Amino acid sequence: MEQVSTLERILRGIAISFVIIFFMFPILWIFLMSFQTNETILQVPPQLFFEPTIVNYEGLITGQLETAAGSLKIEFMGNLFNSLFLSTAAVIVGLILGVPAAYAFARLKFKGSEDIAFTLLSFRFAPPLLVLLPLTIYFQKIGLADTYVGLIWVYQLIVLPLILWIVRGYFEDIPADIEYAYRIAGHGFWSTFRKIALPLAGPGIAAAGLLAFIFSWNNFIFALVLASADKQPVTVGALAFITASGINYGQIAAGIVLSIAPTFALAMYAQRYLVEGLSLGAVKG
Amino acid sequence: MSDVMLRLENIDKFYGAIDVGVHAVKNVSMDVAKGDIIALLGSSGCGKTSTLRMIAGFEATSRGKIHLAGREVQNLRPVLRNVAMAFEGYSLYPTVTVRENIAFALKSTNLSAQKVAEKVKEISDMLEISDILDRSPMSISGGQQQRASLARALIREADLYLLDEPMGQLEPQLRTLLRGRIKHFIKERGQTAILVTHDQTEANALGDKIAVMENGEMQQYASPSQIKERPANLFTGTFVGEPPMNVFPATATLADDNIRLQLEGSLELNYPKSRFADEVCSKLIETKHVIIGVRPYAVKRGTNGAKATVIANQWLGDQSHIAASFANGTIVLVEHDRAAVSEGEDIVIEIDPSDLHIFDPHSGDALSHGRDLV
Amino acid sequence: MSLKLTNITKSFKDDLVLNQVSLSVEKGQTLVLFGPSGAGKTVLLRLIAGVIEPDDGTIEIDGLDMQGVEAEHRGIGMAFQNFALFPHMDAHANIASPLTARKQTKDAIEAGVQKLAKLLKIDHVLSHQPKELSNGQKQRTALARALAGEPATLLLDDPLRNVDAKLRFEMRLELPRLLKDQNATVIYVTQDYKEAMAFGDTIAVMSGHGIQQVGTPADIYLSPGNIETARLFGDPVINLLDVRPEKGAQGLQVQISQTPVSIAEGYSNAVDTDCILGIRPEALRFVDKDMPGAFPVIVEAETPLNEKTVNLMRTVNGRELMLSRPAGSPGPSEGEAYIAVNTSDAMLFEKTTGNRIEPLHAAAKSGDSA
Repeated sequence: MEQVSTLERILRGIAISFVIIFFMFPILWIFLMSFQTNETILQVPPQLFFEPTIVNYEGLITGQLETAAGSLKIEFMGNLFNSLFLSTAAVIVGLILGVPAAYAFARLKFKGSEDIAFTLLSFRFAPPLLVLLPLTIYFQKIGLADTYVGLIWVYQLIVLPLILWIVRGYFEDIPADIEYAYRIAGHGFWSTFRKIALPLAGPGIAAAGLLAFIFSWNNFIFALVLASADKQPVTVGALAFITASGINYGQIAAGIVLSIAPTFALAMYAQRYLVEGLSLGAVKG
Repeated sequence: MSDVMLRLENIDKFYGAIDVGVHAVKNVSMDVAKGDIIALLGSSGCGKTSTLRMIAGFEATSRGKIHLAGREVQNLRPVLRNVAMAFEGYSLYPTVTVRENIAFALKSTNLSAQKVAEKVKEISDMLEISDILDRSPMSISGGQQQRASLARALIREADLYLLDEPMGQLEPQLRTLLRGRIKHFIKERGQTAILVTHDQTEANALGDKIAVMENGEMQQYASPSQIKERPANLFTGTFVGEPPMNVFPATATLADDNIRLQLEGSLELNYPKSRFADEVCSKLIETKHVIIGVRPYAVKRGTNGAKATVIANQWLGDQSHIAASFANGTIVLVEHDRAAVSEGEDIVIEIDPSDLHIFDPHSGDALSHGRDLV
Repeated sequence: MSLKLTNITKSFKDDLVLNQVSLSVEKGQTLVLFGPSGAGKTVLLRLIAGVIEPDDGTIEIDGLDMQGVEAEHRGIGMAFQNFALFPHMDAHANIASPLTARKQTKDAIEAGVQKLAKLLKIDHVLSHQPKELSNGQKQRTALARALAGEPATLLLDDPLRNVDAKLRFEMRLELPRLLKDQNATVIYVTQDYKEAMAFGDTIAVMSGHGIQQVGTPADIYLSPGNIETARLFGDPVINLLDVRPEKGAQGLQVQISQTPVSIAEGYSNAVDTDCILGIRPEALRFVDKDMPGAFPVIVEAETPLNEKTVNLMRTVNGRELMLSRPAGSPGPSEGEAYIAVNTSDAMLFEKTTGNRIEPLHAAAKSGDSA
């Protein structure tokens, strides 16, 4: 506890403002761009004051893209739905598979458990392109290419290791004595898992789920290769704005705003869990 | 200030702005004579560590003056105050061995390498850490780190030695031995030391005087025997002493020229009215209710007194602790032999009037002590 | 025999924790497992509870082999050192958990919880979450939970370790009676010799992967099996001096502080062997110089210790000795002094093995001390 001088307080304020501006500028700029037409965007020097327009958003929602070369049909709202559906489903599947596995890795130390856990984590290190080519071929052979099921399956490459490692750390943080105490009180293994381990690891599971959701939402490469237009999430769908007659910056910006809105809201809402989940659970694993 | 080594004058400490923030130390004054060991005793958060840190200079005083060895030091940097400090936590330099940690304290002196080695050996023998001198601080236990930190402080020449919970992590038997050795070491060299502790046993064992703190206030500053015989208030009385003081509510009435204190369970004690100060006397009669305290060793089994039923008799080798249900409560007796009473047995307890302490039930202040009344 | 362990062995990886441990406890009795940390006490408790499995050996409860019996079916109650309360349940739910596991009716659960809460004086905090409880209340809640299922076997893992000194003292006086009323077989783990002596019908002293000695508190304190056990009981710790018993004019004697001091005649078989003399600090007392057996010391420090006064002293040969006496009794706080020990209070240990030498005549056995 120290006394802070006025000068120091002012300097701190300036430093913090600088950091905020540095990190928030791209987001702010895109937000502003989304209310401008292509013409105003491309003006040199850029205008700070302009006539705001919602034409970009209109275009996205109606699915009718007006360009200099004519009008174009795009599936942006469909893409948004795909993103939501794919990410949610991937996280649910990931939690169902990952949480019990994490518990097993945390509590039941069996031969080779460390190796298996690390192998699963190493999927996160490998560049996705490494697995994509063989995967595409197999998926086409067994009819999983361009299906939701196939995509959700592949998304597990992103989701599972994340959930496994974060949640495992949380399970390990629960003192074994608490579970022993519940067992000795007369409750069975599964009951102990449901009534003690799951609730106590709850914040970790929530954090892992949220992170996994955000990671799946932001995924680009799997969907680009494995999904056709009607299964595409927004990340891939945004490519449609790059047309033969030019790039529609305004619509891209509006698309970005719409597509980051859900994850942004989620992250803001669960900020505390996220920070905990990332700093505690994952490091401990 | 010839033989006063340290003087605290109306020290205040606020965390946050003065008079607004948390008032951690409230108007504390005390004199520490040269060659004395003073124990700052209190539970966590009582302000004892803040006081120590202000003396060391790690914490600024909000108000008041600190005189050390004839200098006013409250605005001096720690390094200029000539104090040696043993820290409660982990304060050893992790990159060098325990031996180098201890010897480091002598670096600024011009002692020969041989002399330094001798001193290190002497102090590490005393603290039972000779076998770990060449280990890294990271690889030794908490108790060993604590002793190494203590060695590093005591080996120095300083005006004042500040010891922050120096034995908190040691096992009880080792503590008992080291208390004797450390006390001898400090006394032999005429060093002046301030010990911060939450353990009243430690304070009693080492302190020439004990400063009992609670809520940032000094409750009592006196010798261990004074605190034992004349606790200033209920807090001091029950905090110092193990097993803790027995306390019971009692009713005070005036009977002839006596003040009569009546406990439930038919124990009745009479004191001549003339022995009380007038205002205490009228206060007793007025409030009628008081709290009386009696230390466990002063409760005797006898033939003439109140009846109680033994609920536990625990022999610990050199003492027996007996608990008996009495006056809607439990009274604890300490005997120095193996007591031959068993559970369920009825005993008669006697309390010598001179062993009684009388407290105001509202303020907790001591109204009088039996010793002064009989 | 309510609980019987036979040749229990357990290692973790390459660490041998328990080696061939056998113990038994009668129904309704309290056995204290006492020893320094790392002696394997807690591991043994967990083996009995069934949350870990022994590598070898058998555990029988009421005559039934517990191998393969899950923890929840062993009829055990357990209190943990760190309380191990369920942090997401209030005190009521914590205490009730052994009852809910038995699928008891709501009324029966409520009655059971209320009864224990009253007994342990926590009925006013039943709706509190564990984090809102004081340490003392946590400890009582944990105890209530262990007792709630009316277990035939109660395992208490150093339950008073993490509460403050005052509360620990209070509980030390209170708990033995509470346990007796439960009529359960109790295994109590502690590192505090005072607790061990206060609680135990029997004490098992554990160290070095096994059991050193099993006996009543008086057995262990007055007739410790070896130096290690003697050192673990008593504060201040027992004084140990290298001696060589010899036959002198007054009978059997040893040299302390360059003065001959008589020891019990029963030690005659130890004459001219290297021994260690053990004297409890409370068996030493200050005496006049002329008193037979008085030997000189230098008193270095006086440190009060819970209604006792402890003096640290040195013999003429520079060996440390500690003396303890009732607080307030007369004695010098520094300088030269003479002290003596009752012949019957001095124990002798073999230097090579550390085992106590049993004196030949039972008459030499000490009953009480100081």
